[in-house]
Amino acid sequence: MSHLLDRLNFFQSKQLETFSDGHGQVTRENRDWEDTYRNRWRHDKIVRSTHGVNCTGSCSWKIYVKSGIVTWETQQTDYPRTRPGMPNHEPRGCARGASYSWYLYSANRVKNPLVRGRLMKAWRRMRESMSPAAAWKALQEDPVLRASYVQTRGKGGFVRATWDEATEIIAAANAYTAKTYGPDRVFGFSPIPAMSMVSYAAGSRYLSLLGGVCMSFYDWYCDLPPASPQTWGEQTDVPESADWYNSGFLLLWGSNVPQTRTPDAHFYTEARYRGTKSAVICPDYSEAAKFGDIWLAPKQGTDSALAMAMGHVILREFHLDRQAEYFEDYCRKYTDMPMLVRLEEKDGKLVPGRFVRADDFSDKLGEKNNPEWKTVAFDAKSKDIVAPNGSVGFRWGEQGEWNLEERAGETTTDLKLSLILDDDHDEVVGVDFPYFGGAASSNFVKCEHPDVLTRDLPVKRLKLADGEAMVATVFDLFCANYGLDRGLGGEWAAKSYDDDMPYTPAWAEKITGVSRDKIITVAREFALNAEKTQGKSMVILGAGINHWYHMDMTYRGIINMLVMCGCVGQSGGGWSHYVGQEKLRPQTGWQPLAFALDWSRPPRHMNSTSAWYAHTDQWRYETVNVREILSPTAPEGDWDASLIDYNIRAERMGWLPSAPQFKTNPLEVAKAAKKAGKEIAPYVAEQLKSGELQMSCEDPDAPENWPRNLFIWRSNLLGSSGKGHEYFLKHLLGTDNGVLGHDLREEAGVTCKEAVWHDEAPRGKLDLLVTIDFRMSTTCVYSDIVLPTASWYEKDDLNTSDMHPFIHPLQAAVNPAYESKSDWEIFKAIAKKFSEVAPEILGTETDVVALPILHDTPGEIAQDHVKDWKKGECDLIPGKTAPNFIAVERDYPNLYKKFTSIGPLLDKLGNGGKGITWNTEIEVQHLRDLNGVVLDEGVSQGMAKLDTAIDACEMILMLAPETNGEVAVRAWEQLGKATGREHAHLARPKEDEKIRFHDIAAQPRKIISSPTWSGIESEHVCYNAGYTNVHELIPWRTLTGRQQLYQDHLWMRAFGEGFCLYRPPVDLKTITKEVNTDEQNGTPHVVLNFITPHQKWGIHSTYSDNLHMLTLNRGGPVVWISEIDAKTAGIVDNDWIELYNTNGALTARAVVSQRLKQGTTYMYHAQEKIVNTPGSERTGRRGGIHNSVTRAVLKPTHMIGGYAQLSYGFNYYGTVGSNRDEFVVVRKMNKVDWLDQPAKTKEAAE
Amino acid sequence: MLMTFKALSALLSYPTPELKEATGEIAEALQSDGLLSAAQVETFKPLLADLGAADVYALQEQYVSLFDRSRTLSLNLFEHVHGESRDRGSAMVDLIETYRAAGFEPATSELPDHLPVLLEFLAHQPLQDARDILADAAHILEALRVRLTRRESDYAAVFGALVQLSAQSADAEALAILLAAEESDPEDLEALDAVWEESEVTFGPDPNAGCPQVRDMLAQMDDPAPKHLNRSA
Repeated sequence: MSHLLDRLNFFQSKQLETFSDGHGQVTRENRDWEDTYRNRWRHDKIVRSTHGVNCTGSCSWKIYVKSGIVTWETQQTDYPRTRPGMPNHEPRGCARGASYSWYLYSANRVKNPLVRGRLMKAWRRMRESMSPAAAWKALQEDPVLRASYVQTRGKGGFVRATWDEATEIIAAANAYTAKTYGPDRVFGFSPIPAMSMVSYAAGSRYLSLLGGVCMSFYDWYCDLPPASPQTWGEQTDVPESADWYNSGFLLLWGSNVPQTRTPDAHFYTEARYRGTKSAVICPDYSEAAKFGDIWLAPKQGTDSALAMAMGHVILREFHLDRQAEYFEDYCRKYTDMPMLVRLEEKDGKLVPGRFVRADDFSDKLGEKNNPEWKTVAFDAKSKDIVAPNGSVGFRWGEQGEWNLEERAGETTTDLKLSLILDDDHDEVVGVDFPYFGGAASSNFVKCEHPDVLTRDLPVKRLKLADGEAMVATVFDLFCANYGLDRGLGGEWAAKSYDDDMPYTPAWAEKITGVSRDKIITVAREFALNAEKTQGKSMVILGAGINHWYHMDMTYRGIINMLVMCGCVGQSGGGWSHYVGQEKLRPQTGWQPLAFALDWSRPPRHMNSTSAWYAHTDQWRYETVNVREILSPTAPEGDWDASLIDYNIRAERMGWLPSAPQFKTNPLEVAKAAKKAGKEIAPYVAEQLKSGELQMSCEDPDAPENWPRNLFIWRSNLLGSSGKGHEYFLKHLLGTDNGVLGHDLREEAGVTCKEAVWHDEAPRGKLDLLVTIDFRMSTTCVYSDIVLPTASWYEKDDLNTSDMHPFIHPLQAAVNPAYESKSDWEIFKAIAKKFSEVAPEILGTETDVVALPILHDTPGEIAQDHVKDWKKGECDLIPGKTAPNFIAVERDYPNLYKKFTSIGPLLDKLGNGGKGITWNTEIEVQHLRDLNGVVLDEGVSQGMAKLDTAIDACEMILMLAPETNGEVAVRAWEQLGKATGREHAHLARPKEDEKIRFHDIAAQPRKIISSPTWSGIESEHVCYNAGYTNVHELIPWRTLTGRQQLYQDHLWMRAFGEGFCLYRPPVDLKTITKEVNTDEQNGTPHVVLNFITPHQKWGIHSTYSDNLHMLTLNRGGPVVWISEIDAKTAGIVDNDWIELYNTNGALTARAVVSQRLKQGTTYMYHAQEKIVNTPGSERTGRRGGIHNSVTRAVLKPTHMIGGYAQLSYGFNYYGTVGSNRDEFVVVRKMNKVDWLDQPAKTKEAAE
Repeated sequence: MLMTFKALSALLSYPTPELKEATGEIAEALQSDGLLSAAQVETFKPLLADLGAADVYALQEQYVSLFDRSRTLSLNLFEHVHGESRDRGSAMVDLIETYRAAGFEPATSELPDHLPVLLEFLAHQPLQDARDILADAAHILEALRVRLTRRESDYAAVFGALVQLSAQSADAEALAILLAAEESDPEDLEALDAVWEESEVTFGPDPNAGCPQVRDMLAQMDDPAPKHLNRSA
C-alpha cells in the first residue's frame, strides 16, 4: 500500500524537537486545555465517611465536595498504625464500595415521599371532614377502601406527598393501631445497627417509646451461629482480620474471603508470605480456593461429616495415643470436659443425661446458693467430687467465685478429664448415641449404619440424693461419641482410620467425597501447628456452612476441633465467623438510645424468624415433620407436634418472645387489672391460666393477632432477606404471588396441636407498610408509603465492624438530595406528628410487656427442668415458668419530648450490658454539658438534649466503655466484684480517653477494652475472642462457665444434639409430583440443590441494581450451574432459565461453569426483581427473587430458653432462617415475556 | 422572558391542582412568542386536555411512573449522559456555575440537571443562547420523545417542541446509540440475545488492519471535537 495519501505532503508538523530517542517531543501549542483537568480535580472540601452497608467493611473514604455536590471519592489512608511487625490495615475499600458515590444522584433514588395513589385519594377525602385518627379509622373499617390499596401493592401507582402529609398518615395509623389492637401490632424491621447506629436507633427509639416491636435480624438472616451462644454464651465474638496474620494455620471453611471480605483479604495474602499454611474447604472452585495450599471440595451440606472425621483424627493422635500437654491442660481448665454427666436409662439402655449438679447430692456439696446450677467434677487432689468455681450458679446471688481459677471455693483443685484409668472407674458400660447418617434424602449419601450406636465407656457409681447413679466425664463421652476405640472394645469403636464406621476418615470420604488422606493431613497439620504455637490455628468460617438447617452440627464440629487444640482465646487462633456485621462495638452506649431505656424499660423485642414464620403463614405449609428430626434416643415426652406448636410452647414457657403478645390489647389488659385492683403480673398469670386471656402466638391468623403496621428501614426485606418471599406477598401483604404448593390441610390433612387452624388463610394482614430507603428497592415497590432517606454521604452517624478495632463516622458531606432526610430526622418528624395526632385517642396509658427469660440476667437460671404450666406440670410463675409481665407507662402525648431528650432512668438505674451494671450519673451530666439541656417546659425540661444525629452519636460515645475510658474502668471494676479478680488494669491506661464525634471525624479511633467483649484492645496482641476468658480467667457465660461442648438440656437430648454429630440436610419435599410439570411432560430439566452465596457484583447483600456492577456481570439475575447439569437439562450458557418448586418460581440467565459441583446451583443473594427480570412461565408473575423458592423452617433446639446460655437474647439466641437445604427444578424457558404492557385502564381505575 | 420555555418547564413539572388550573394559561403561553409552529402547538392539545380534565391522582401516578420511576425517561438529563459515572458530579457543578454566572441561585430540591429547572433558566436567557444550550441535549430530547411516543404518552409533545426549539436535528449518531441501547422488543429473542451478547475480545492489533500508527493518525484528523452538554459558555 502506498503512503502517499497517509503522510503530510504540504505541511510540517508542529514538532520542533524530540528527546528520549524520539519518544518525547516538545510542542508550542496552547496549554489552556490543561485547565480542564486542573478544574476537574478542584474541590471545596473533603469529608470522611463510609458506606453504611452490611458488608462489615467499615472502610474510610474521602468524599470530595464542590458547590454542594459530591464530585468523587477516594480511599482514606490514615488509619492508626499497627504495631511493629504487623502489616497496616489500609488500603480499605473495594470496587463495589467505590461504585457507590454516583448512586447518590442515580435515577433510582427515591426523591419525594411517595404514597400509594388510592390510599392518598381516600385519605384526603376522609381528612376533609375528619381528624387524622378518625380518618384512618374510617379507612380501615371500610373493607372496600382498604382492599383498594392493599391489593395493588407491588403494582405501581405512587403519588408524591409532602412530609407533613406522609408523616400524618403514619402517625394516625400508629395511634389507631395502638388504641384498637395494641402498640405491639406496630412492627419495625431494621438490620445491623453497626453499619449506621443512629439511623437504626432513630426508628427503634420511636418504636420503643410507642411500645412497638423491634424485630431481630441476625438470626433471621441466618448469620447468627447458634453454636456460639450454645458453646460460649456469646452471640458472636471473633478476631479482627489483622489477627489472621498471626496465625500459623488458616483453615477457610465455607467462607470466600477474597470475594466477600475484600478490604481484609490482604491480611490473608500477607499471612501466607509470612509462612502461614492455608487449607480451603468449599464445594465450588471459589476465589478463596486458589489461595489454599490444599483445597478440599466436600459435597455441599456434608461439612459436619468432615469436621467429625477431623476431630476423630485429632482426638486419636493428640489426646488418646499421645497426650499433648498444652491441649490437655487447656481442656481441663477451659472446657466442660471434666464435668460429670449422669447416665440415664431408657428402655434398658443408657443414654447421656443431665450434668450432675451440687443439688443432686444430699449435702449439696455445701453449696447453699443455686446448687441446681453448679456442675461438678472429680478432683484428683482431694479424690472427691467438687463443684468448681465459675459455673452459672456462682454468677448470680453471690460474688467472688465466678471465675476460672482452679478452685472450688477455698480449695485448689486438679480436675480429672477422664476416668479411663482402672482406679478411676467402677465399670465399663455401653452408652447409646444416636446416628443420623441413615436419614439422608436421596440427594445425599446414605450409609448403612444403625440409627443408634452403642459405645463402651468408663463410668463411676455415685451416691446421689435420689439413689445411686452412673456418671461419666464429658471427655469420655466425647471420645465415645467420636467413635474412637480406647482399648475398651465395643462394636462401634474404630481402631483404624480405614474402618467404615462413624466418624472415621474412611466413613467421611464416602459421605463428603473428600479423600481420607486429605482429611487426615489437614486435621493433623492443624493440630500439630496448634500444639507447637500454643493455639495459633484458626478457622475462618462463613455463611456457606451456617445457612443449613443443621448448621449447629457443622459449627460445633469445627468448634470442637479448635477447643481440642486450645485455639480459642489465643492470638492467631480461634473461630472467625464473619457473617453479618454483628459487632456493634459501643453496644452498651447505644442500647439506651436505641431502645429508649432512658425513659422506660423493658422494650419489646421479637425474634424475626418465628414472627415471620407465623405471620407470613409459612407454618401452614410446613413439610418437615418432627419425627424426621427427633433422636431415636429421645427421652419420653410429648414430642409429636408440629414446628409451630414447639414455638408456641417456647413462647408460653418464657423461652422466646412474642409479638403481638396477647389477643387482647395490652392497654386494655392493664385497665382491666386496675379495675380488678390487682398487680399486673399476678393478674395476667391468673387470666392466662383461666383462659380468659390468650397469647397471640396460639392463633396467628386471628385478625386481632395480625401485625398491622410495619416499618422497614435500612433494609430490603422483600428483595433480599425475606425467606419465603412469595408467602410474604400472599399472606402478609395480600397481593399477587407465586406460591405453587398447598397448605398442610390441603396437602395431607395435617393438624396442629397448639396452633388454631383457620381453613381460609388471611391475605393482607398489614394495614400499612412504610419503607424508608434512598433507592426504589423491591421492598419500596411493595410499600404503601415510601420515605426518601439520606444516603451515606448525607448523614451523621457511627459505624463499626468486627473486622477492625476502629470506630468510624458517617458524615453529611452534602445535604440530603431531593426531598430526603436522615433516618434520625424522619423518625423525629414521625414522633412529632404522633404527639400531635395521638392525644385525640390516647393519653398516658399503662402497657403490659411480656418479657421472655433473658440471657445474662439473674433470671436466666429459671428452669433446670422443662415444665409447661399449660399442661399442669407446674404453676405459672411470671419470669420463672413463663414470661414476666411488666407494666410500662406510655406517655403518648409526650412521645416527641421523650424522643428528643435523655430521660431520667440512666441516672436512676444506671447502664450496663451482658450481666454487668454500672452507675452512669457522671456521663449523663457530661451529656447535659455537651449537648445542652432542654429549656422548654414539660417532661423533658432540664434533661440533656437529643436533637441532632450528632447529639445521638455523643450519647453513644459518652455512655459506652469502648469509647469512654472512665466508664471502661468502672465497668471492669464491676465485673471484678463478680469474679473476685482485678481486671481494671486492661483499661486503666486509657482512663482519661474520651472519644468524641469530632475525634473520629479527624481519624478513625481504636476503641478501649471493655468487659462486654471477650477480647482486648492492646498494643501487644490483636483483638481475639475468648482472650479475657483464657487470660483473665473470666468464665464463659454458660451453664458450666466453660466452653461447653455437651448440651444437656432436655430438648437438646431429645433432638440428638447433646454431642455434635453428622446430620445430613433435611428433606423439604418441595418438589412434588404435582409441581414438577417437566417430569410430567417429559421435558428436559434437572433437580438441583439451591444455594445463595454473596456475590461479587453487588455491594454485599444490599443491592444489585448498580449499573457499574450490572455491567460487569450480564446485567441482570443469573444462576450458576455445572456443565454436566446444564447438558442434562439442555441448557447452554446465557439461556433464560426458570427455577421452581412448591414455594414459587424465579427466572434468570444461566451461567454454565466448571466452577460448580454437579448437583448444585448458585444464585447470588439479592438480585432484585426490579432489574431485567422477565415473567415466570409457571406463575405468570414477574420473575421472583432468590427467596421465591425458599421457605423458613424452624428448629426446636433454637427455641430453648430459661436455661443459662440457652436463654433468649435479641439477635443472640433463637430460631434462625436457614435456606440451603432447598431443591429446585431447573429448566430452560420456552418464551421470555417481559410483562411490560401497562396495566389495563379499567384495572387502574378500579 | 421566553414564555414558551417557561410553559414547557411548567408542563414537565409534577401535576398539581394548580397546574391543572393553569392549563389555559399554558396553552396561551405556548403561542405567545411564536417560537413554536402552529402545527407544533397543535400537538399539545391532548396533553393539555388531559391535564385539565383527568383526575389529579391519575395524573400524578402517571407522572411518578414515567419520570420518577423509569430510568430511561428520567428528567435529569445527566442520567442519560453520565449515568452513575464519576463525571456526573462535576457536570452538575458546571451547570450550577452556569446558573450562578447568569445570576440565578438554584432554590429547589431538584438537582440542577432536572429538565424543568433547566428550562426555567433558559426562559430567562437570550433566545440564541437558550437554543444553543438546548441543542447540546437535542439527542436526549429526541430519545425521550421517541420513548414517550412508543408508550403513547401525551408528554411526547413537550419533547417534540423542545427538539424543534433546539433548532437543530439531534446528533444522529448519539441518538442512535441512545435508542439502540434500550427497550428492545421483548418478544424478539434473537434481538435480545444480540443486546446481551458480549463482543469478542481480541488482543493486540488486528493483523488485517494495515499500519496502526497511520490509522490512528488519520482517525485523529477525521474526528470533530467531541460534544459535551456541560460546556459552560
